[in-house]
This record gives sequence, C-alpha cells and structure tokens, in this order.
Amino acid sequence: MEFYLGILQTIGFHTLLGLSAYLLLLTGQLSMAQVGFFAIGAYASGILTVIYGLHIFLALGVGAVTASFFAFLVGFPALRIKGLMLVIATIAFSEIVRLYFFNLRWRIEKGGVEVGPDGAQGFREIRYFAANGWEPYQIVSFIWIVVILVIAALWWLDRVKVGSVLRAVGEDELAAQSSGVNLTIVKVSAMTGGGFIAGIAGGLYAHSTTYVDHNSFTILLATFAVAYPILGGLKNVFGTLFAVVFIQGILIEGLRFLGDYRNLLFGLLIIIVMNFYPKGLINIPIFNFSRRTKKGDT
Amino acid sequence: MGIGFIDILQSLIDGILFGSIYALIGLGFTLIFGAMEKLNMAYAASSIGGAYVGLGIATLFSLPLVLIFFIGPIAAGLLSILVYLVSFRLIPASNHLGSLMASIGALFFIDEVIIHETQGSPLTFPELGIFSEAYFMLGDLGFRGDLIFIMIFGLVSMGVIIYLLYYTRLGLATRAVSQQNIAARLCGIPIHATNISTFVLAGILGGFAGCLAAASVGVISPLLTIPITIKGLVAAVIGGLGSIRGAIIAGLLIGGVENFFLLVRGVNERDIYVFLLLFVFLVLRPNGLFGNEISRD
Repeated sequence: MEFYLGILQTIGFHTLLGLSAYLLLLTGQLSMAQVGFFAIGAYASGILTVIYGLHIFLALGVGAVTASFFAFLVGFPALRIKGLMLVIATIAFSEIVRLYFFNLRWRIEKGGVEVGPDGAQGFREIRYFAANGWEPYQIVSFIWIVVILVIAALWWLDRVKVGSVLRAVGEDELAAQSSGVNLTIVKVSAMTGGGFIAGIAGGLYAHSTTYVDHNSFTILLATFAVAYPILGGLKNVFGTLFAVVFIQGILIEGLRFLGDYRNLLFGLLIIIVMNFYPKGLINIPIFNFSRRTKKGDT
Repeated sequence: MGIGFIDILQSLIDGILFGSIYALIGLGFTLIFGAMEKLNMAYAASSIGGAYVGLGIATLFSLPLVLIFFIGPIAAGLLSILVYLVSFRLIPASNHLGSLMASIGALFFIDEVIIHETQGSPLTFPELGIFSEAYFMLGDLGFRGDLIFIMIFGLVSMGVIIYLLYYTRLGLATRAVSQQNIAARLCGIPIHATNISTFVLAGILGGFAGCLAAASVGVISPLLTIPITIKGLVAAVIGGLGSIRGAIIAGLLIGGVENFFLLVRGVNERDIYVFLLLFVFLVLRPNGLFGNEISRD
C-alpha cells in the first residue's frame, strides 16, 4: 500500500511540474527553468516550516510566491530572447539555482538538534507532516487536491479569453501582437504563473520526502518537466497528466523487471514521439475520444 | 586572502588553456546551428560516446593506445549521423522545438547507454604521451603541454572549418542550405547529404575534443557530458550562435573566468559565475560577441 501511495505522490509532483511547463508552452516558450522554480519552492517552504515553524499552508503559499517572484524576474530578460536561446538561458538559470542551494548553509539550533540546509549534505529535517501526525493517505490526498485544483484552473483558463490569448501568442507572436495582444504582459504572466505552480510542487515535494538536496534538481528533471506536456500534447491539460502517468507509472514503475534498461526508455520515448507524433500522444487516433474534431484536422 | 597577482595570472592561463575544450564543443554547436538553425543537444554526448567507443575498441583488441585518437573521432562522426537520422531527418525544418527535444532525448539515451555499459564508474583514459609530460616555464608562469596541444588543435580546426566553409564547394552548399533552404534545393543541392556532412564534420571534431578532454583529465565518465554540454552551449551563445571565431574566443573566455573564480571563490561556486556571465551577455548583448543581428530565434 505504501508503495502505491509513493507512486501516487511522485505522479502528483511530476504532474504539477509538467503543468507549470504546459502553461509556458502554450505561449510558445520552452522553459527548462521549471526545475529552478521547483527548487526555490522546495527550499523556501522547507526553511519556513523548519526554521520559522510556520504552518504548512502558509509555508507552501510563501514558497510558491517566492518562486513566482523569481519567475517574474527571469521573464523579463527572457522577453528579449526566444526559442532556442531561451532554452539555453533557462538551463543556465536552473543550474545557478541548483548551485546556490548546493552552497547554502543555514544551520540553527532547534530543540537541541541542528536543523536547516547543510550545503552539499542537503536539507534533511523537513518533518512537518510527521511531526503533526499526518497519515500517508492524508498527505497523498492533500497533494492530489492541489493537483486537481491546478488542473481545474488551467482547464478553466483554456475555456475563457485568456487561454485564447496565450495560445495566440504561442501560435504566431507577430500576428498576436498585430491584433493588440501585449506580449510583455502575456509572456511574463505565463512565466510567473508557471513559477507559482512549480513552487507549490516543490514545497509539496520537500515536505513529503522530508529530504532535498541539489541532486534532486538536475537538468534531467527539467527535461522531464518539459517532456510531459510535449509528449502528452498541448491540446488540453489531460495530455500532460496522461504523459506523467505513462512515464512515471508504466515506464518507470511498471517495467521494473527490465532493471537498468528502463533508463534508456525515456530518451528513446522522446525520440520516437517527436519523430512520429510531433503533436503529442493525445493526438494518436486511439486516444482521440472526442468526435468533435473533424477528419484531417490534427 | 593571500592571492598574489602571479597566482591570478597563472590560474587565468590554465583556465584559458583548458577552455579550448569548451571552445571545440561550442564550435560544434555553432557549426550545426549555422547550417540548420537548430541546436543538436546530443552533440557533447556523441563526442564523449565516440571517445568511449575508441577506448573500448582499443582495449578490446589491445591496439596501441594512440589509435584511440583515430577511432574515437570516427565513432563520434558515425554517432552524429545516427543523431541526425533520429532527431533531425524526419522532423520538419520548421519544428525547431521538436528537433531540440528529440536531440535531448538522444543526449539522455547515449548517456544512459554509457552508464549501463560501464556500470556508471569512470574509466581511466590514457594521457597524451609526450605532451602530458611537457611543462613549459616562462618566468614564474607554467604552461601545461597537453593543454597547449589542445589549444593549438582548436585553432587549427577553426582554420580548417573556415577554409571548408568559405573556400570549398561543400562549404558553399552548406551555406546555401542554411541561408535559403528551398532555393538551395531548387539548385539541385541535396539537403540531407549536405546536413549529414556538416554533422559528420562536427562529430569528428567533437570526438577529438572528447578524447582530448578525457586525456587531459585522465579519466572519462558519463558525468562529464552534461557539464560539457552546458559549457559548450554557453560558449556558443556568448560567442554568438553561428559565429565560428566567436565560439573559440568565448570558449577560451569561459575557461579563464571559470578558473579565476575557482581560485577566488572555490570549486563549489565557480560555475555560478560562468552562468551569470551568460545572463550578462543575454541581457546586454543577446546576439553574442560576433553574432548576426538577423536571427535570434
């Protein structure tokens, strides 16, 4: 049982991470910085509950706001560059964040033991859930309530005008700008929103694993974050969810009998999907449940 | 701090010499970008992969170790063809992000194959024979012989590439394909063959850079791939994507900056400053040192 709850937790964080990249991909920005925001959220909310003893909800909120503030700051220089250059810049940002936390040492005495981030040793004692008597199933439910809220919010976003504006910028920046869309506001707010979601995900991750270190926030995780929406397809939010369940649930957990070879499958899957289904798995006919799409309209 | 002027100068020299490796990798990125306006993220992985294949074949058939420096580049060139076929051949030219993601997939695939085959432990790599023992002194400053060799190799290959691109028919075709894809096709230039030849050229260069990097460090490990990829990309961007001399100069610059901060701030923090340098360039000069004004996409 514990095992399945663990998988559910992992799917939860990865869905949030994928959705934060999904929001940016709608505006056509491929950002590898999501893992940086994830790390900021994780460390910020961890520090708040461990060192300042805040309540978990408050800590998660402040962590997410901190992450979105950094996303806002990254959004401005990112406006001047786009496409491939943005990818490189955001990789560099994620690495800066990772190395910052690699060097962060902030130990304080609390109840006779030293707590706090300890540089390369990582940040160990994030025990809010255990200290307050949360059961594993409560943690999982809490994570999934957040996931469902975020999915609902993004689903709703796509049904109102904001969604059309985001997609318009993603489809053709010049055309969107000509029809009066303010690119600065759209891109920076997409970045900020993505940072907020990634920040919440980071906070949840830090508290449910009780331990984070710089190795949790590598370029591989950044690749996972953008791979989910791209593999799933940008048609709607469920593409991302589907890709997370497929990769984390089936590829990584379901195929355990393959041992080491599973690590090869992730790269291979990206290559195959990009070559044969560039619009994502959700556009494969067998997954196309809705009859509304006309023939030939991919 | 007891850091004298001579220490700073020495660390800058070491760094700039080691930066030749970043310069070579950046050169490969910039070459492919110049030809196709796409990034081949798997480039450093295929370079390191080539060095591994060279080492593997040489130890398997107990060949003289110097042959690694011939087998490695050839293997890296073949790997590059493979990367081209899986990440660029079938994906339409307009789909930049598709190729990017597919090549990231190839990066992780190659990396994981290496980890799987070597059980994740680094292997010792033969040093550059006579060059690794050479050490020149100039006053109080020392120069490592193998790094000088790498730097000279980098400059020579830059010259060769500039010659190939601007003074041969192949280079003319490559530049035609990169500037006007459709017009080039109408003139009867085989697009894919031209692109593959660019990939092979870059791959051979990368394979040599991979072998040289492994030889100068003394070990080869799959953990080298991601840092070299990122530093090579930073070199390509700071130099201006598509600019050959830019990549070389920026690679040397990064090596110098890296080693300077290694001396001043320690090994854990040095990369932060290299990436901050990238941000300074992106904000103040998004096209890099020698980049063209036209394409920023």
